[in-house]
Amino acid sequence: MITLSRFLYEPGEHEAEKASNSYLMSLVAVVAGLPLPIVNLFATIIFYLGNRKGTYFVRWHCTQALVSQISLLMVNSYGFWWTISILFGSETISNNYIAYILVALVFNLGEFIATIYTAIQTRKGLHVEWWFYGSLTDLLCKE
Amino acid sequence: MNKVAYQGLALVLLFALLLFASNQVDWMKLFKVAKATEKTEEKIGELIWENIQFSEVEIKLDSITNAVDSIVTRICRNNKIDRSELKLHVLHSPEINAFALPDGHIIVYSGLIEASENQEQLAGVLAHEIAHIQLNHIMKKLVKEVGLSVLVSMAAGSGGGEIITQSVQILSSTAFDRNLEEEADLKAVDYLAKANIDPEPFANFLYNLSLEEPEMMKYFSWISTHPDSEERAETIVTYSQNLKVKNRPVLSDEAWLALQEKVKEY
Repeated sequence: MITLSRFLYEPGEHEAEKASNSYLMSLVAVVAGLPLPIVNLFATIIFYLGNRKGTYFVRWHCTQALVSQISLLMVNSYGFWWTISILFGSETISNNYIAYILVALVFNLGEFIATIYTAIQTRKGLHVEWWFYGSLTDLLCKE
Repeated sequence: MNKVAYQGLALVLLFALLLFASNQVDWMKLFKVAKATEKTEEKIGELIWENIQFSEVEIKLDSITNAVDSIVTRICRNNKIDRSELKLHVLHSPEINAFALPDGHIIVYSGLIEASENQEQLAGVLAHEIAHIQLNHIMKKLVKEVGLSVLVSMAAGSGGGEIITQSVQILSSTAFDRNLEEEADLKAVDYLAKANIDPEPFANFLYNLSLEEPEMMKYFSWISTHPDSEERAETIVTYSQNLKVKNRPVLSDEAWLALQEKVKEY
């Protein structure tokens, strides 16, 4: 699911730090805005906008950090509103609900681990490409 | 582009597959959700009933409670409903009202017994309330009006008396959703039919009360919390036409009259 490769060029120390920060940004925001699935996306968007004129390596990783959150945002939002309708609405806890929340948790945990790993590797100047999101970033982010 | 599409599709499939696999496990049983829900409902029912007991007078005269109980027992027995799960309480009040609380409590006001022209009408209202309990409408209504978080904290002991009073108010004097009412009506007709009780008097009861004078309406809580009674009476009549019910009264005529007499005298 994750491929470690060499980038087109050797990124400098400063670039590696910024690229790594884009992943850390989403992690910090996950912890800060845990109940609201949109907070981490906002934080990553802001970081992305701040670095969209950065070097290719920085832009590429900011983009991957951003797009990787979109699918999770959808999964989490659905779970979030489902939970709200159970707590304050007429929905009741069902097997479907528990099954969905558990799968959502597995996906979140997977992304969390992948994000930490990527943040560490990019800090070393290594290029980490995620399954699907890496290819999508290649399409979106041009040199 | 193709690579992205394939990988995206694979990711969606992985999610769907995991969801399908997760759905095969009975999490409700594993996490004992039903048991926890039952306990919460039991506690809430107890708290609300204690609140009602504090402000109302319960009739504990065996000759009254036994007669009403025998109607409930017939409905339960013929419909395979566990009678021990229902807790029947008759309260002394001129209000024509009956309502159900969480954990199977059924509250019947003496005014309702007096206002019923025959035992089948009373049986209809009781069957309707039993249907609300069996269809889990009571908790659904409370969760919708009060919210699950408040109910859970109330059951855990941190709920204020205000919330309990509010819950009593909601259950005794506000209407259910129209769909829930219709569902309970039709279920009640099924219960009555199986218990060999003619459902038509129940329809008549709804119809008659809807014709009452406006100044008398202050006593007719049951009808004010069950709107569109005329329309509902028609639905019940239409639905019960397909059922062939041989009416076998639970109480003898003398016993029914004696019940009404005792309620009046109380």
